[in-house]
Amino acid sequence: MTAAAAFSEREHMVVKVARDIEDGANYWVAGGGGPLYAVLLADRLGYAKEAQYITEDGVIAPEAELPFQAMGSMMSSRAGYRAAHWGTMNTAGDHAQLGYMDYGILNTLQVDQHGNINSTVLGSYEEWTRRYGGPGGAQTIAAQCWRTILMTDQQKRKFVNRVDFISSPGFLDGTEGARERAGLPAGTGPWRVYTPWATYDYEERKLRLIERSPWVTVDDILEECECKPLLAPEIGVSEPPTDEELGVYRTELDVRGQTMDRGTWVIKQDDGTYQRQEMGA
Amino acid sequence: MQVLEQGSADYFAVDPDGHRAWVREHKERRQVSKLMDEHEAVARFVADGDYMVYDCNYYSRGPSSLLREVMRQGKHDIWLCGKFTYVAVSLLVGAGVVSAVDVGFFGRSKVVEDAVRDGSLTMYEYSNVTLTLRLRGGAQGLPFVAARSWGGTDGFEYSGAKLVQDPFTEKPITLLPSLNPDVALIHAHQADEFGNARIFGTGIAHQEAAMASKKVIISAEEIVSAEEMKRNPGANSIPYYVVDAVVEAPFGAYPGIMAGIYSSDAAHIPELYTALASDSLDGYLDKWVHSVGSHEEMLAERVGVQRLLQLRREEIITEGYRA
Repeated sequence: MTAAAAFSEREHMVVKVARDIEDGANYWVAGGGGPLYAVLLADRLGYAKEAQYITEDGVIAPEAELPFQAMGSMMSSRAGYRAAHWGTMNTAGDHAQLGYMDYGILNTLQVDQHGNINSTVLGSYEEWTRRYGGPGGAQTIAAQCWRTILMTDQQKRKFVNRVDFISSPGFLDGTEGARERAGLPAGTGPWRVYTPWATYDYEERKLRLIERSPWVTVDDILEECECKPLLAPEIGVSEPPTDEELGVYRTELDVRGQTMDRGTWVIKQDDGTYQRQEMGA
Repeated sequence: MQVLEQGSADYFAVDPDGHRAWVREHKERRQVSKLMDEHEAVARFVADGDYMVYDCNYYSRGPSSLLREVMRQGKHDIWLCGKFTYVAVSLLVGAGVVSAVDVGFFGRSKVVEDAVRDGSLTMYEYSNVTLTLRLRGGAQGLPFVAARSWGGTDGFEYSGAKLVQDPFTEKPITLLPSLNPDVALIHAHQADEFGNARIFGTGIAHQEAAMASKKVIISAEEIVSAEEMKRNPGANSIPYYVVDAVVEAPFGAYPGIMAGIYSSDAAHIPELYTALASDSLDGYLDKWVHSVGSHEEMLAERVGVQRLLQLRREEIITEGYRA
C-alpha cells in the first residue's frame, strides 16, 4: 500500500473513520456523505467485513449496489439492495432504543466541548442568522446508539464552547448523569470527533485531542477551536490515505466528488512531508 | 405522574376520542370503489387549515403528483409534518400552502428562511423519529407515546414534549403528544379500487401515517384488481377501510425514484436546486405545477415519453418490489 501523492483533506477524514470501524459491530449511519461512505469503505477494503449498518429508512445490513445516484443513498433500490431486512424509520429508532446500535456516525454543523450537536439555527433561536433543517435522524442516533461519532471540518466556528442550539444531545452540560436525567438510555454518548486535521475523544465528558494530521501542528488545530480541547498526554499522528483506499473511495463511493471538489488538498512532497494547497471553492 | 419539564410550544390537538368519533362517523366500512382523479381527491379531502402528513419525499417515493395538485389548487394554511423531507417543504412554502411545520428534517432554503422571518411560517421543533413515534401513537389511538430520546435538547423546549418520571422504573422519560393528522398523502406501488395498498421496499412511516390520519389519499403507480390483492394479503401494507381516495398516478413520484419501477430524474435535480437557491420558486412552480392542468399533462408536456421510458430503463434493480 502506497501513501497517496495527493488527496483532499476531507478524503483523509473519511479514511480515518473507515480504519476505525469496529468489525462485528452495528452502525446507524446518517444518510449521505461521509458517515455512510466510511462504513462502506471499511467493508470494501476488508477492514471490517462483519460490521453492518442500518439507515434511517430501516434498511438493515444491505449489500448496497454502488455507486449511488444523486440523492440516492437512502430510500433507493441501490441503497437497499440485498438487505437482511426492510423496515421503516420506527424500525431504526426501536432498534437503537433496544441497544442494537453500537455506533452512530453523523455529520455536524457545529459541535461543542461536551459533544452537543447543532443543526437547527446559527445565532439565538429567536434571532437566528441561518435556519437549518433540524436534527433529522441525528437526534435519535446521538441519544440512543451506544457511541456517537461525529465528522466535521476543523473550523473555529464549528468547535464552539456551547452550540447555539442543542439539536442532538452530547453530554449536555457535561455533568455526570446529565443524559440519564434527561431521559436518555444509560451508558450512551459521544465517543469520537473526526476532522480533516484532528481526532478527538472525551475525558470526563469533555473533548480531548488525541491525534493530528501530519501537515498540521497542535497549535494549528487549537487555533481553529473556540473551545479549547483537553490534550492527550501523547498526540498521535494520523496516517495519510493510501492509493488503494482512495481508489475505492473515488470510483465506488464519492463518484461525484462531493469531498474532492472543494476545500483543501494535501500534496506529498519529495522529502516525504505534506503540503496543504487551497483548491478554491 | 410527575412532570419534570415541558416544552412551551403549541402542538396539534391530541384527541383520541374525537378521532374515534370521526372514524365511526366518516370511515366507509364497505368495500366500495374510491377511485377518482387527483383533482377530485385533493378537492374533497385536503382542506385549508388541515394538518397534513405525506410519506417519504420529493426524491424518493413521495406522493409528488398529489403534492403538486395541492399546490395547483392553492390550498393554504396547512400545518405540515416535516419528517425526512428535503425540498418538498420549500416547494409547499414557496407555493403559499404552508403556515406551520413540525420540523423533523428539511432542506434549508431561502424561501423557508424568508417565510419564518416575515412571520408567515411557524416552526415547531421535533426530529424525524420523534415525528414517526408521534404518528405511531396516533395510529394506536393513544394520546401520547414514550421515547428515550429528545430529552436534553433545545428543541424539546420548542416542542410539545414533556419529561416525566416513569411510574414503573422511576427514571425520567420523554412523552410526546400523539399525532392524528387531518390528511395523509401516500404513494404506493399498487392499490386496488377499495384502497388496499402495497408499498414495497422501505418507508418512513407510511403505515403509521395511514392509520393515524382522518383522511387518507393513496396514489398508486398501478391499480390492480381486488382479486390480485387477495392472492398475497401479507404483502398488503394498508387496508382499505382507512383509505378515502385512490388515485392512479403512474410516475407519481416523479422526479423522485419509485424503487423497482423507475429511477429518479437526475437532470431535474439541478433545476430544482437552482430554483431553491434563488429568492423565489415562482418560475419552477409555474413550469411544473401551475402551467399544467394535471399530472398527466405534466408528464406529457414537461417530461415526455422518451425521458420516462429512459427512467424506467435506468431502474435496473427490481428484486423485492413485486408481490
